[in-house]
Amino acid sequence: MLITPNHQEVVHSPDKVIPSKWTFEELRKIPEFGASVAFLALFIFFALSAPQFFSLRNITSLLTIIAELGIMTVGISFLMIGGEIDLSVSGVYAMAGFVFVTLANIFISPLGSLFAFTVALLVSLLIGFINSRVVLRGGIPSFIATLGMMMFLRGILLGITGGRSISYAGDNLVPTLLTGIMAYRFRPSHFWFIAIVVVFSFILNHTVFGNWVFATGGKKLVAYTMGVNVARVKTICFMISSALAGLSGVIAISRFKLANVSFGQGMELEAIAAAVIGGTLMSGGYGSIIGAALGAGIMGMVRTGLVMAGVPSYWYNAFVGIILIVAAVVNLKLRSTVLGE
Amino acid sequence: MDQKQPLVKMENIQKRFGRVKALRGVDFEVYDQEVVGLLGDNGAGKSTLVKILSGVYQPDAGTIYFQGEKIEINSPEEARELGIETVHQDLSLIEKMSVARNFFLGKELTRKIGFLEILDLKKMNHECMIGLKQVGIELRSPTEFVSTLSGGQRQAIAIGRAIYFGAKILILDEPLRNLSIREQRTVLNHIQEARNKGSSVIFITHNVYHVCPVANRIVLLENGEKLGEVKAGELTPEEIAECIATGKMIKANSREERF
Repeated sequence: MLITPNHQEVVHSPDKVIPSKWTFEELRKIPEFGASVAFLALFIFFALSAPQFFSLRNITSLLTIIAELGIMTVGISFLMIGGEIDLSVSGVYAMAGFVFVTLANIFISPLGSLFAFTVALLVSLLIGFINSRVVLRGGIPSFIATLGMMMFLRGILLGITGGRSISYAGDNLVPTLLTGIMAYRFRPSHFWFIAIVVVFSFILNHTVFGNWVFATGGKKLVAYTMGVNVARVKTICFMISSALAGLSGVIAISRFKLANVSFGQGMELEAIAAAVIGGTLMSGGYGSIIGAALGAGIMGMVRTGLVMAGVPSYWYNAFVGIILIVAAVVNLKLRSTVLGE
Repeated sequence: MDQKQPLVKMENIQKRFGRVKALRGVDFEVYDQEVVGLLGDNGAGKSTLVKILSGVYQPDAGTIYFQGEKIEINSPEEARELGIETVHQDLSLIEKMSVARNFFLGKELTRKIGFLEILDLKKMNHECMIGLKQVGIELRSPTEFVSTLSGGQRQAIAIGRAIYFGAKILILDEPLRNLSIREQRTVLNHIQEARNKGSSVIFITHNVYHVCPVANRIVLLENGEKLGEVKAGELTPEEIAECIATGKMIKANSREERF
């Protein structure tokens, strides 16, 4: 940029100022570039090392895992870009699942299962709203607030169920709509996941609200002084994160038909790891929903791919840990040119 | 100018933070198309006063009149709706966003696709370049991240944005800080240009030499109180600096008696 005197008028066309070269320098500016490369590399690696990996049957079962983790990851990425974190997502996941099962078991009818589904989502939204109140009104970091909420939700579940597992005996309408087996073992959850990625990616990148999410996460005070209602933006982000975690829980429990209180335990860290692998910045203001989906994809692939390649599943966490650290470093390097850090 | 109704009039503004009295009953007016320098040492209450006008803080006591009408400014959003644009010290742009997205932050351009209202990114990029061009700033690309730009470039963009949105009142908090001498001159030109286009400018600084070349009037603050007011040319910059250093108005009062 140059600061030139006023009289030198040059009219710019918008097309000229947007670079369109497909060079590495340009590609690395895409936030999900790193995750895309890693996704492809791992996919090829597993396809070569385990013959069954690249089979339709495996791809669809992979998608089932990815969709459930991915829906949660999309929500938490949205919130992380908005500058907050939500550790209670796995608690919400379990709570929504239990609410859904309990109500659907009471009202055994197609409408009853829809009712149970709606209540489960409303409960999730409410938890997200409470998280936002605690963080915004209480003025405490979201890490602490949502850590407390996670323990609270798990504790409530344990207290109410007394540790007994529950099984789904309600109507099959909602489970079928969410995750019933279709042709070639595809499930509706795969398509719900893709739809959610498309919708939330669009909201983030192409709406005023999305611009405000970036701004709020990027520098809250600047966003505020420019007239953005940052409290409302954060509240909505907390609710999105919680609602998607709840949806993910209902989908998972609809598939398993059985769950105990440790249902989804530790999943919040997987979702955060997936978000970071996908290029989302822990400190907020930068990230991508498509990247989040790819991050969840990488996690899912590692989980099934390792087993198929003959590695005992106990090694899963070790691999994910390495991938997370490498991804965070690589994403930082990729970002450095864009952000001039 | 004194006979006219002020564009904005702040009366007996008080603000405290805990036990610190940042403002102890300050009166402050801005008239149409003038550049007011708001001058004072660090901690004099300059930034607090303008943050009240830009809606960031709400005063504990005092009244604000805008074009003769008593108003409350409860948020920066409301201030911007009134036409009060502020370039805060180090607080005007978001590094992790593109120039164009920053430029239109809070006033995004949209278009409708059916019932969906979506960002018109193409128009935002285009308008941003044109808007910046009008104040003499040329950018490589509106999609560039702000973090890649220099301090001077960022300051210029923030000021250019305020001018673009046709501010009635343009508040600049230490606009020359961290700028090279050439950039300082450009910013001073922008200030005069904004005034010529019909804006009033509040120029906050602790450096009297920065504000003297452009100000029509200089208001001096000290310890949360108004020390006095000087019209352009009444006192030399050295004399004004002396007022700030000693906390006493030297000649302005005696000169006023002669008027």
